[in-house]
Amino acid sequence: MEIVGFALRRLLVAIPVLFVSTFLIFLAVAKSGDPLAELRERQPPVPPHTIAAEEARLGLDQPVLQRYWDWLTGVVQGDLGPSVDRNADIGMEIGSRLGITMRFVLIAMLIAAVLAILVGVVSAVRQYSWLDYLFTSTGFLFLAMPSFWLAVLLKQGGIELNTLAGSTLIYTVGDSSVIPPPTLGGRIADLAGHLVLPTITLVLINFAAWSRFQRSSMLDVLGSDYVKLATAKGLRRRTVLRKYALRTALTPLVTVIALDFTAVFAGAVVTETVFQWRGMGDYLLESINGRDVNAVMAWLLVAAVAVVLFNLLADILYAALDPRIRRVR
Amino acid sequence: MSAEPPPVSAPAAAPGPWRGVLTRFRRHRLAAAALVALVLVGSFAFVGPLLWRYGHDEITPDNSQPPSAAHPLGTDSLGHDLLAQVMRGTQQSLLIALTVAFGAAVVGTVIGIVAGYYRGRTDALLMRLVDLFLTVPTIAVAAVLGHNFAGSGGGWVLIAAVLAALMWTSVARVVRGVVLGLREREFISAARALGSSDLRIMLRHILPNVAAPIIVSVTILVATAILAETALSFIGFGVQPPDTSLGLLVANAQSAVATRPWLFYFPGLVILLIALSINFIGDGLRDALDPTQTKGPRRRRYLARPAERTDAVPDDVLLSVRDLRVVFAADSGDVSAVRHLDLELRRGEVVGLVGESGSGKSVSAAALMGLLPPTATVSGSIHFAGQELVGLAEPHFRRLRGSRIAMVFQDPMSSLSPVHTIGDQVAEAVRVHQGCSRAAARARAVELLDTVGIPDARNRLGDYPHQFSGGMRQRVVIAMAIANDPDLIIADEPTTALDVTVQAQVLAALRAVRERTGAAILMITHDLGIVAEIADRVAVMYAGRLVEVGTAADVFDNPSMPYTQGLLDSVPRLDRPADEELWAIPGSPPSMTALPAGCAFAPRCGIRTPDCSAAVPDLVPVTAGHLAACLRLTPLGDARPETATTSSIPERP
Ligand SMILES: Nc1ncnc2c1ncn2[C@@H]1O[C@H](COP(=O)(O)OP(=O)(O)O)[C@@H](O)[C@H]1O
Ligand code: SF4
Ligand SMILES: [Mg+2]
Repeated sequence: MEIVGFALRRLLVAIPVLFVSTFLIFLAVAKSGDPLAELRERQPPVPPHTIAAEEARLGLDQPVLQRYWDWLTGVVQGDLGPSVDRNADIGMEIGSRLGITMRFVLIAMLIAAVLAILVGVVSAVRQYSWLDYLFTSTGFLFLAMPSFWLAVLLKQGGIELNTLAGSTLIYTVGDSSVIPPPTLGGRIADLAGHLVLPTITLVLINFAAWSRFQRSSMLDVLGSDYVKLATAKGLRRRTVLRKYALRTALTPLVTVIALDFTAVFAGAVVTETVFQWRGMGDYLLESINGRDVNAVMAWLLVAAVAVVLFNLLADILYAALDPRIRRVR
Repeated sequence: MSAEPPPVSAPAAAPGPWRGVLTRFRRHRLAAAALVALVLVGSFAFVGPLLWRYGHDEITPDNSQPPSAAHPLGTDSLGHDLLAQVMRGTQQSLLIALTVAFGAAVVGTVIGIVAGYYRGRTDALLMRLVDLFLTVPTIAVAAVLGHNFAGSGGGWVLIAAVLAALMWTSVARVVRGVVLGLREREFISAARALGSSDLRIMLRHILPNVAAPIIVSVTILVATAILAETALSFIGFGVQPPDTSLGLLVANAQSAVATRPWLFYFPGLVILLIALSINFIGDGLRDALDPTQTKGPRRRRYLARPAERTDAVPDDVLLSVRDLRVVFAADSGDVSAVRHLDLELRRGEVVGLVGESGSGKSVSAAALMGLLPPTATVSGSIHFAGQELVGLAEPHFRRLRGSRIAMVFQDPMSSLSPVHTIGDQVAEAVRVHQGCSRAAARARAVELLDTVGIPDARNRLGDYPHQFSGGMRQRVVIAMAIANDPDLIIADEPTTALDVTVQAQVLAALRAVRERTGAAILMITHDLGIVAEIADRVAVMYAGRLVEVGTAADVFDNPSMPYTQGLLDSVPRLDRPADEELWAIPGSPPSMTALPAGCAFAPRCGIRTPDCSAAVPDLVPVTAGHLAACLRLTPLGDARPETATTSSIPERP
């Protein structure tokens, strides 16, 4: 229960932060240009009253401070505001796209974390072995790899594989088939098939940094006095590693992964553009290009909430893993 | 506990870390190669365009050409020469990345120093600012702002400004961390005591000391920045046509990967090469700037060679160490941490092993426990209860550890696992060697904790180490050490990390343990007071060698080696802080990599003769059972050397 209180306090602290950042972003997007530019220049010309009506619908006739206030009060009541696209509801749009993006972001984070732990721990335990050198150099390689380039590379690999096989072995475009398979099992398989390449991309660009981190935190623990004392007690090395070293060496990674959520999300934006997923990344780029303030704001809000939730999760996990935190405050 | 402030010399900044940086960096071969690669890429980007016949924005009549002599990478559909474009793209990407790193370094350093120096509310406020930047998904904000600036034609400077504004947090955090630590150091307090202004302290004393971590984190930031910029340009919110960047080039080549692969691979590989080089350089710089860091060896060389023993070890001798040597393989050459140790412990005997820090006491203890790292080579002989320990296979050694030989480490704050309960850790010590039930082990744990004087032991089994004080934790460690009635307990400075009052309690616990179990104790310490209190015999180590050994009475009443005499002259007295290091002997212990020839103590010895540097003096008997290694063995009183000098505390200006 103490953890929940602690978490709530963290949430309260985050509110002013969110407040300031949303205002700045709102200002930036609102000043970025006229969302109705395209409408105004349409040939044959659109009647002025239609444009005026659009301006009123989007609040463009108001001063920007007023617009921010309207947006804020709306959001607090659960109204994300109108989209430049008349036919779109921002909430619905975000909802469906969030599902698509989180699907591969969460799976990729999980796989990357497991991989990072394995690689980091093995590297540390077998420090300076050929395995460690191999992992270290792969880690360096992927740390320096531009995510978009890797994504295009994998996509191209998929395309060539398919050409070679003469049939679609691996999906390279979209988050699901345009015509979904009729059965539920088929649909799931279809979704999973589309997940493969984007997930691999995201895993590869994220696991490297995490495995480096895990390696050094495991090395720290291996050199610690309590690991020495555990060995001095006469425990088997395996027991020492599993019970004493691993347990404490995992805790710091939890925080790192949670804090890295923004980076993973950024990677997801890039990955989505390459694989042409209709997810959050695509929506962001579309909204910025369309100067759709409310859509961009909704996007950022969701992202920020996700960040806060991840931090919260990290705190809770940390407290669960480390008894020293459990009792503080 | 300290009764006197530490001696204050002139408030100079800490010795600069810059000496030898270049040499150490060059020794880092990968980093040196990376630097060469980066210089090559840089000349390609900045000098190349001057020499190449086409400009990046020049429209040639040859559009959509395959590679040819005139256009080595071909041309695009508008007729741009693609080699010129790649050069321009690399230039723009590098320019942006370097500017971002520079801007972030300046902002991050200022904010980090101010936060770390003023602490309190300023720190909290600035760290909240850092939080703000961390909650914001960088790419989204950069895209928003990049889109804003795309129309205004601001070019690379604006993109760099946006990225720098979003990326300074990592530098600020690193700097703040270092400054928080620095602020406690004497030279800062001294400068403040002298009335230096805050600004002056920050510029003159703090900045030079955070320079090293700043350089490393900013270097790494260049790589992060180039990846961010190219990604931003790739999704269309960074560098805009007609100008170009490596990210934009990759984006344009996306559709042509199959037909004109070089357009895709080349700019991508250039990004990879730049980022990789920068990371390696950062790594090299980190090592070069931090000389204390020892890099691992290329080869493992755990070798243990037991010496042939011809002498018979008498029955009542529990431990007999003969000519023990330990050599560490290190980057900077071999370190002979223990060069010659002869030591004997009879059953139930308490021997004090004393010597300044760095003299090889802990390494000797680790050799006895078989706990040396794989970089160590051990030779000589350790005979323990009828077994040779040098070269003993790990499974056999493991059975001895914790059952026949137990160990108590220096720092009780760190020698217990923070995430396991006390009960679990003590009971485990029992269970490892005595396949008993959990309940029996717990009962035994309570008994052990009682023995070492933990009040209400039964109810504290479920507590974690952080709920115990330092002295209590050390007793828990002692309880674990006696869990299996060992023959030998090695206590490596068990009280050094504790307060004076607590020290006495822990010593009492050890003495009680000895009464109760009859275990022999090897008491490692640099505190002669403790030795006088508890030890039957004393062994003195200097620079990896045993220099004097004898009964406590012999050594205390008749110290025969000048180093021992110096030690005795510096025994902490009631009027001095008890945790004070030995300070009365002039000079400092020699470096283990560059030992003087002959007697290692010669440079600090008041009675040395030229002969002393000719050969290493052997241990020779002074009286029966009292040995010392000095060429000028003289009975006490005769030629009492003037090794002890009074340290003078300079007046404050
Ligand atoms: N793992 C190691 N690698 C290289 N050198 C080491 C290692 N451990 C200790 N040393 C060196 O061995 C020497 C003796 O250290 P130590 O036994 O810890 O001294 P002390 O007498 O203070 O316990 C020191 O010079 C130290 O730098
Ligand atoms: S051998 Fe010489 S230098 Fe060494 S302690 Fe004796 S007198 Fe001093
Ligand atoms: Mg030591």
